[in-house]
Amino acid sequence: MTETPEKVAGVEVGERRISIPGFTEEGENLAAETNSAADHSHGGLGESKNVTSGAGSRTNRHIGFDLSGFPDPTGREEEWRFTPLKKLAGVLSDVATDGAGTDREPVEYQVSGAVEGVEVSTLGHGESPRGAVLQPADRAAVVAYKNVDDALHIKVTEGTEVAEPIRVDITGKAAGVRANSHLVVEAEPNTKAVIVLEHRGSADYNGNVEVKIADGASVSVISLQRWDHDAVHVGQHDAEVGKDAKYKHVAVTLGGKIVRLNTNFRYAAEGARAEMYGLYFADAGQHIEHRTFVDHNSPRNSSDVLYKGALQGETARTVWVGDVLIRKEAEGTDSYEKNQNLVLTDGARADSVPNLEIETGLIDGAGHASSTGRFDDNHLFYLMSRGIPEDIARQLVVRGFMNEIIQKIEVSSIRESLAEDLERELRISGH
Amino acid sequence: MTEQIAKAEEVLRNTNDPGVIQKVLDDNPELKGLGTYEYGWSDSDTAGATAKRGIDTSVVEDISNKKSEPEWMLKLRKKGLKYFERKPQPTWGADLSEIDFDNIKYFVRSTEKQAQTWEDLPEDIRNTYERLGIPEAERERLVSGVAAQYESEVVYHQIREDLEEQGVIFMDTDTALKEHPEFFEEYFGSVIPVGDNKFAALNTAVWSGGSFVYVPKGVHVEIPLQAYFRINTENMGQFERTLIIADEGSYVHYIEGCTAPIYNTDSLHSAVVEIIVRKNARVRYTTIQNWSTNVYNLVTKRAIVDEGGTMEWIDGNIGSKVTMKYPAVYLTGEHAKGETLSVAFAGAGQHQDTGSKMVHMAPNTSSSIVSKSVARSGGRASYRGLVQINPEAKGSANSVVCDALLVDTISKTDTYPYIDIREDDVTLGHEATVSKVSEDQLFYLMSRGLAEDEAMAMIVRGFIEPIARELPMEYALELNRLIELQMEGSVG
Repeated sequence: MTETPEKVAGVEVGERRISIPGFTEEGENLAAETNSAADHSHGGLGESKNVTSGAGSRTNRHIGFDLSGFPDPTGREEEWRFTPLKKLAGVLSDVATDGAGTDREPVEYQVSGAVEGVEVSTLGHGESPRGAVLQPADRAAVVAYKNVDDALHIKVTEGTEVAEPIRVDITGKAAGVRANSHLVVEAEPNTKAVIVLEHRGSADYNGNVEVKIADGASVSVISLQRWDHDAVHVGQHDAEVGKDAKYKHVAVTLGGKIVRLNTNFRYAAEGARAEMYGLYFADAGQHIEHRTFVDHNSPRNSSDVLYKGALQGETARTVWVGDVLIRKEAEGTDSYEKNQNLVLTDGARADSVPNLEIETGLIDGAGHASSTGRFDDNHLFYLMSRGIPEDIARQLVVRGFMNEIIQKIEVSSIRESLAEDLERELRISGH
Repeated sequence: MTEQIAKAEEVLRNTNDPGVIQKVLDDNPELKGLGTYEYGWSDSDTAGATAKRGIDTSVVEDISNKKSEPEWMLKLRKKGLKYFERKPQPTWGADLSEIDFDNIKYFVRSTEKQAQTWEDLPEDIRNTYERLGIPEAERERLVSGVAAQYESEVVYHQIREDLEEQGVIFMDTDTALKEHPEFFEEYFGSVIPVGDNKFAALNTAVWSGGSFVYVPKGVHVEIPLQAYFRINTENMGQFERTLIIADEGSYVHYIEGCTAPIYNTDSLHSAVVEIIVRKNARVRYTTIQNWSTNVYNLVTKRAIVDEGGTMEWIDGNIGSKVTMKYPAVYLTGEHAKGETLSVAFAGAGQHQDTGSKMVHMAPNTSSSIVSKSVARSGGRASYRGLVQINPEAKGSANSVVCDALLVDTISKTDTYPYIDIREDDVTLGHEATVSKVSEDQLFYLMSRGLAEDEAMAMIVRGFIEPIARELPMEYALELNRLIELQMEGSVG
C-alpha cells in the first residue's frame, strides 16, 4: 500500500483521498488477513471486494474425483478464504503417504469393539462401496482418495445391533509427516452402531470418511480431534442417509495446530433424520475450521445442525461455515442450523457463516441462527456473589455452554473425559 | 384487469415505437396475465439517438469536457475506467453474464441547461414527471426540494427558501461540483474509492447527475429531501452519483425513488452513493426501487459515521431484473450507530440479491439489520450481509434478523449472513426464518369474504409492516399499492 500524495491541480486523486482506515484505491481487502501472500501478488485483478466476496450457490458446488478439477487453492476461493493455506501445503500436495507399505507409516490405525456382525476389511481402488458416498469437494479430499490403496472398511451387517462403540484409534507418530487415509463405514439395513474415531499424536493428516446408512439403520459417528499441538488435519466426512434411517455426526476438536473438517450430508430417500453436532475449543495459535453442508435432496427428511465453540488466547481462530440447501424436490423438509461462539479472551477471532438456500415453499420449517459473544458477566457475577471463586465460576459457565453438545454423545466414558479436557483447557487460560 | 388492458393499450397508443412494447408482450405472453407495468411508457427518444454506444477513453473525456469539469475529476474518471476494465465481473451473487457493456449509452444529455421553474421543462419531460406525481408533491410541500433526474442530468430542482437560509445545499451533483468544488475536492470518492468494485469504478468513470446534499452543523431538515430518477433512453445506463454530508449534530432524511419504462433489451443502472455522517449527526436514506424488470440495478452505497452519529438505510427493492445492493455503514467513531431496514420482492424473472454491511471500527458501536423478503412466481430473493467487528471495537453489539416469505412452490430464497469477529467483547446475534403462506391463513381470510389475491396481499402487507411503518406516509401508501400490484396474478 503506497500513500504518496498524487495531486492534480492541487487536488489529491490517489490513496490519500480515502477516509476509511485500511482502504486502498481498490476498496478494502477482505482476504488479506489470512492469505496475505496470495493476495498481494494479484495486483488488483482479483474478485470484487465489495460487500461479500463469496458464497456461490451450493447447487453448483464442484465435486469430482478428477484432480484437474481442483487447482491449487490461492486463498481467494470461497472455500479457502478463511484457511491459512501456506501452513496446509503439506496435506494438499498429490503425494503418497510417507513410507507407504513399510512399517514406518506415520499413522497407526487400531480397530476395536468389532463384535460379531461387524466386518473389518480393506477396499482397494474401484472396490464397492468405496467412493459411493464420498463426493470430493476440494483438492484435499481428492488427493487423499487417490493416494490410499487400501481403505479401511467397517461393515455392520444387516440386523446387527452393536451395544458398545466400535473404536478406531488413529495415532500420528510424528509432526510434519504426510499421511493419507480413507475410511468407509457401511451400515446395512436395520442396524444400530456407534463408531468412535479418535485422533491423537501428530501428523500431517489428510483423511476422508464416507458413511453409508441403509434403510432403517441408526448410526452415530463421533470424531474426536485430540491431536498434539503441532498436528495438521484436513478431512471430508460424507454421509448418505437411507429411508427412515437416523444418523448423527459429532465432531469434537480440541487439539491440533490446524484442523479443517468438511462434513456433508445427503439423503437417499424419505423419512430420515440427520444430526450434525460439533464442539471446539481453540487456544492461542490454533486454527479450527468446520464446514458443514446438509443437502436436502429428497422430500420429507429432517436435519439439525448445532456447533458450539470457545476461544481463548491471542490468535485463537475458529471458522464455522454451515450450508443448508433445500432443493426444489425436498418438499416437507424440516431443518435448523445454529452456531454459537464464546470468546473468552482478547485477540481471538470467530467467523460464523450460516447459509441457507431454499428452492421450494413446501417446507415444514427452516431456520438458522448464529451468535458470538463474550460470556455473560452477569452469570459470573451471580456465581461469585454466591461465594464461588472466579476461576471456578468461569469453568461452570463454559461447561454449561458446552454441555449441550457433550450430552449428545451417547458414550459415557467420552462425556466424562471431555469434561476433564475442558477443565484442563480452561486452566491453561490462567483464570 | 380490463382496466389494466385499457391502460396498456393507451400506453401503446402514446408511445413512439409501439412495436417495442408489442414485441415484449408477444415474446412473453404471461405478461398479459400479470397486468401492465404501471410506469412503463417512454417518451420520444431524441437525446438518446445521438449518444454513442460502448465505453472508451474518448467517451470519458467527452463527458468531462461537456461538463467543463476540473482536471482532477477527469483524472479520477480515467482511473475509474482503468479499474472498470481490469476488474472481472463478480462471480457471486446474481447472474450478470447478459450485460453487454458495448451496447450501452454512457451519457445522454436531455436538455442543454437546467430549468429554473417547472414551466421551463420540455413538454415531454414534464409529462413524464406529471405521471410520476412530482408536481403534486411539490404543491403539497410534502417534499422540501425536488431534484428530478431525467436521463443523465438533473433538469429540474428547487429548494425551499428556508432551507437555503439555513445553509442547506441540495442540488444536482454536476452543478454542485461547479458551485461548491471544495466539498468534492475533499469528499468525492473518499468513502467509495475509485476502484472499489467493478461497478463503482464504472460509475466513477461516467457518472452524471445525482444529488448533492450538505447540511451545516446543528441544522435539522424537518421534511424529507426527495429525488426521482428515471431511465428513459433504451439501453442507456444511468450512473448517478450522490454525495451527502451531514455536519456535526445535523439531521436529514433523503428519499430516492426509481421507476423506469419497459424496453426489450436490458438496461443498466449503476449508482454510487457516498454519505458522511459527522459527530452526533443522523442521516436517513430511503429508497423505493421500482425499476422495470429489464434493468440491472447494481448499486454501491456506503456511509461513514463519526462518534455518536447514526446512519439509517431504508431500502425497498420491488422492481428490476437483477438488483445487487448492500448498503454499508462504517462505524468509525465511538457510540456510532448503523441501521438497515430492507424489504425485497422478487417476482417472475427477478433476482433481488440485497442485504447490508456493518463494519464496527470503534468501541461501543451498535448496528442492526432487519431484512424481509417475499419471493413469488419463480422469483429469487437473497439476503447477503456482512457484519465485521474489528479488534478495537470493544463493547459493540449487532443483531441481524432475516425473514423470508415464500408464497408459492416455485420461488427461491437464500440467506448468506457473513459474520466476522475480531474482538471478544461483543454481542452478536443472527436469526432467520423462512415461512410460506399457510393454507389456514388464506382460508381464514377468504372465509371473511376476501378474494384470494386480496388475502395474499394482506398477509404480505402484514409481513412487511415493520418496515412500511418506518416510511413517510405517502411512501408507505405507495409501497402498499405496489404490493397489491405485485400480488396480482400470484394466485389462482
